[in-house]
Amino acid sequence: MPDVTGKNPSRLEPIEIPRRSFLSIAALGSFFTAIGMALAGAARLPGPAVLPGPVRRFKIGFPEEFTVGSEARFEEANFFVFRDSEGIYAISGVCTHLGCSVARLPEGYACPCHGSRFESKGEVTRGPAPRALPWLEVGRAADGQLVVYADSEVAKGTRFRV
Amino acid sequence: MAPADQSVAPSASREFLANLRHLPRTVKDAWFRLGHSPVSEREESQATFHNLFLHIHSVRVHVRSLAPRLTMGLGIISVSSFIILCISGVLLMVYYKPSTTLAYDSIKDLHYVVFTGRFIRNIHRWSAHVMVAAVFLHMARVFYTASYKKPREFNWLVGLGLLVLTLALSFTGYLLPYDQLAYWAITIGSNIANSPRELTDAVGVTPWFNPGGSQRRLLLGADYVGEDALIRFYVLHVFILPTILITLLGVHFWRVRKDGGLARPEDPMGGTAEWGGKLHKVFEPLKTKTYGLMAVVKGRRATVNRGPENTLMSWPHLFWAELAVFMLTVAIVLILAFHFDAPLKELANPLVPENPAKAPWYFLGLQELVSYSAFMGGLIIPMIAWIGLALIPFLDQQPGGEGVWFGSKGEKLVALQSFFFGLVAVVGLLAFTVNFGWLRSWFPSIHQLWIIFINPGSILVLLYMAWSLWVLKRRNSIRHAAVALFTCFLVGFSVLTYFATVHRGPNWIFYWWPSQWPMH
Amino acid sequence: MNDPSRKYRWLLLGMSLLTIGYLIAAAVRENFLGEWYRVQQEFRTILEAKATDERGKAIARDFRIELKQVSVPRLKVVDRCVSCHNGIDDPRMTTVPAPHAVHPGEILKYHPVDRFGCTICHQGQGAATSLHDAMGVDVAWDYPLLDRNLTEASCLACHDVEKLPQQQVALVLEGKKLYQEKSCGACHRLNGRGGTLGPALDNEGAKTKHQLILTNLAPPHTTWNWHQAHFRDPGGIVPGSQMKNPGLSAQQILALTVFMLAQRLRDVPESYLAPDKLEEKVRRLHPQPENGEQVYHQYCFACHDEGSYGRWDKTFNRFIPAIRGTSLQATATRAYLEVQVAQGRPGTQMPAWGKQAGGLQQAEIESLLNYLQPSNGNRPLKLVSHAPQVPPRGDSNRGAALFIAYCAGCHGIAGLHGIAPEIGNSVFQQAASDEFIVATIRNGRKGTAMPSFQPQVPGALAFSDTDLGDLLAFVRELGRHQTGTSGAPSQSSQSTPSRSNEAPR
Repeated sequence: MPDVTGKNPSRLEPIEIPRRSFLSIAALGSFFTAIGMALAGAARLPGPAVLPGPVRRFKIGFPEEFTVGSEARFEEANFFVFRDSEGIYAISGVCTHLGCSVARLPEGYACPCHGSRFESKGEVTRGPAPRALPWLEVGRAADGQLVVYADSEVAKGTRFRV
Repeated sequence: MAPADQSVAPSASREFLANLRHLPRTVKDAWFRLGHSPVSEREESQATFHNLFLHIHSVRVHVRSLAPRLTMGLGIISVSSFIILCISGVLLMVYYKPSTTLAYDSIKDLHYVVFTGRFIRNIHRWSAHVMVAAVFLHMARVFYTASYKKPREFNWLVGLGLLVLTLALSFTGYLLPYDQLAYWAITIGSNIANSPRELTDAVGVTPWFNPGGSQRRLLLGADYVGEDALIRFYVLHVFILPTILITLLGVHFWRVRKDGGLARPEDPMGGTAEWGGKLHKVFEPLKTKTYGLMAVVKGRRATVNRGPENTLMSWPHLFWAELAVFMLTVAIVLILAFHFDAPLKELANPLVPENPAKAPWYFLGLQELVSYSAFMGGLIIPMIAWIGLALIPFLDQQPGGEGVWFGSKGEKLVALQSFFFGLVAVVGLLAFTVNFGWLRSWFPSIHQLWIIFINPGSILVLLYMAWSLWVLKRRNSIRHAAVALFTCFLVGFSVLTYFATVHRGPNWIFYWWPSQWPMH
Repeated sequence: MNDPSRKYRWLLLGMSLLTIGYLIAAAVRENFLGEWYRVQQEFRTILEAKATDERGKAIARDFRIELKQVSVPRLKVVDRCVSCHNGIDDPRMTTVPAPHAVHPGEILKYHPVDRFGCTICHQGQGAATSLHDAMGVDVAWDYPLLDRNLTEASCLACHDVEKLPQQQVALVLEGKKLYQEKSCGACHRLNGRGGTLGPALDNEGAKTKHQLILTNLAPPHTTWNWHQAHFRDPGGIVPGSQMKNPGLSAQQILALTVFMLAQRLRDVPESYLAPDKLEEKVRRLHPQPENGEQVYHQYCFACHDEGSYGRWDKTFNRFIPAIRGTSLQATATRAYLEVQVAQGRPGTQMPAWGKQAGGLQQAEIESLLNYLQPSNGNRPLKLVSHAPQVPPRGDSNRGAALFIAYCAGCHGIAGLHGIAPEIGNSVFQQAASDEFIVATIRNGRKGTAMPSFQPQVPGALAFSDTDLGDLLAFVRELGRHQTGTSGAPSQSSQSTPSRSNEAPR
């Protein structure tokens, strides 16, 4: 350890290093706090405050267009619409694994990307998909057309009664 | 075999566990070599030169360099604002879309909905202003402390390059919001680039030789401000110019270090001198010993043959100073950004010119000159001024006065006289022009060549040059002539800037105050 | 000074604390002081108060305080109005105060907010998140929020005004009617038809305030305020304007203003256009010919009034000929009138009305001529009986003296720039026959300042046939003098101010 007592004025003697004063600690502390706060504020910027896209709400036609037992695919909106004896329901066509569009098979759905399979009501039967294909909310617009709210998930088995 | 295995295996796993246990400390040690705050000058030196970001500093720094009245921290303020600009700029890039149809909306989004977007845009805007102001003042400081002299001539040139880059960055950033202000300011700016046409038209060679036109087309990618111009300005603003600036900044710092730190008068050698409040014996080089690293380092180095008297350890003193000035800049920018929003006009509309279409304040002096002649005021005079500045250290080679404000004898008086001369000349010319007009008001059909070469701007430059030559002859000192010229230009630039900011209204007509502008 | 960096540490501490203070202030302002934040808190309490049934409770529970926006990429609309107007599509919000209330009327039923946004009808700055900025009156924004009674102007972006329920667009319809009644088309062009003395109005509604002279306008500086003030007193708003004060009631002024705002060429995607809008566009390209009286009242009446007398116009500083006066009807050939209508009088306020100019179809010009000259004869007119002969052209020098003495006072030295119709005008010279000129001099024009120079009254000034011949010779020479210089008479410079109500920049 160098001699830190040094009262000797000669330049060859080590000069006393002042101990960390309260001022130094306060100055450094406030500096890092300020920088930290600024960075934290700046880090909020990339998180979008409002989502830029339009509302994903799709008019799909009048109920009469869907006969019992029929099904239809809406490619742009990416969901399937079915009508059975109990009512109308919509199932999302977006694989719950990593978001590829699923293909319709006679017995259900197949995801082309990583091999997930779903049965016809959306339950997973094979592959890495963590959960079933979501059922989407179906409603009715003022003009009587059916509306599918593609961002609004409902419990499996929920049907819109016509 | 087996015993050996047994003796190794437990110790390895024990060591693994021990290492795991010590992980926080070993990672910390790997990161912070010293492990504790330096307690000796040796350790303080290490703290400086073992760190990539700090090692550009010398280990010791002269007390004069730390004195606020020498530098006023202007260099640090410039680079601090540049750092703020880089960070805020990158953040803005997250939302900015360089397209004529989307740019304006993205700025509105930043302003209204992006978290902290408006604040960050304000910060970007204000730190740009601070940077330009600081760079100008830094240049003036370096000039008036004669710090451009040998061996710092090259760094003066690098600094001038940085000045141009700073202004270019500001100019290119001006178009990006794509509002009315941007559109018309850049339309004007690009037509200044086109202004050599005034000359080529006047002498009738434009069809064969049109440097102005090709210059503008290179800048805009078209003959008007539009999508192509926007993307060009964007690339210049966010990539090309910052890259060059950062590179030059590195050279600038490197040269400061290699040229022996900030310019200062030579310290006394031998005997005693006061430092730290006490008298000390001062280092005296022995005749028999060579202290310079002559084999390695070429040229004169200010630190060779010098003792450590009057110097302080960079760690912590210099770094406290730098940190403090950085934070000062941050605080100034933040306060401005908090209280004053960056302007945003209506969406760019090629049908309706902004009136008056004013450039940012630091270009307004030029804009006043441009209102006399675009070619003279927008290109030739700035070029003359820049070349003049660049030549200063090569024309003024008498050493002396380095590192001291108005260091040579009588310099302060020359500066004061030049200040008044410059002020009277520029105010007089402006008053004359506003009241009586200029050549074209008297001879409407006068040839453009006369307008180009004889206008208030060129007269002003000639007056200043004449004054400087008179000082040269009268005072018999190149430094004094340089001070005279520099002061005149500084005053002229400031007054023109002020005049165009405050007293020029719609249609570039003189008004006493902006409140008198007719309503539009 | 044992520690040279002490002052810097103090500076660092001070500046850091200042920075921290400002960062906190900025964070508070950003997160809690937004106008929409307070409004949404209020709305939440309203929702909770109204949450009586299961559905209401769910709505109240799901309501989140956050910025909301409607994004309609096809219309290039991103409207954040819904950040404060949270209840516009909630039918329960009928009795709540302003920003929370449901949108009045049935209109949202046909124009769902998420398909149309707000600003397509209301204008204003949709991106803004505070009322002041959203209204966009005092801020840099081209299309500020329309006053409520002006909003119907926006319907025309997608609809044919004739096919909409009348009470929805009452002001536009009234404005359209007034536009025709007040003969605005005499000076202004709209849909390719109209005069050229004033600016064309096809895209008038798209003008921003910066394109108008606001110097004489009391705030607020909105385009509609400008229009209303301008209709009240054109010359008071645009100095030097030649536009007549149309003399309208406040209601009529409002109607015309809305009609002006509706004249806006917008690029609306075709899928948004009402089918009748497409028909309207076709109609506009191929308009049904109108009858002579309609044409007269839309395009002639403003200057010629009902046309039976010579009107003195103090703005133009000249007499306007009585184009439906008995004298002209009796003297002029149909061919003469047709040329005058189709080609106008270049250099005067009278524009050309042919298909390429004023936009009147040939059939319309025909019916206009029938209206001007109901007796209709494609015949050379019988000149007044007691002097059937047209004297031969005589000595033009003597004619010049006569002209200076008796005609130039009104018609101008060279037959140009006087206060009476220009007889030196090239179009007149082409169209007028010698017979027509002589007959006019002899008989004068009843109801105008043009006297008869062969009156029945004894003792009054009368030209002999020789005089007439000399005069005729000189008048014909006027045409020759004129051919070289036609096109840039001083009248055109006088008419400039009225054509540019754009602010000079």
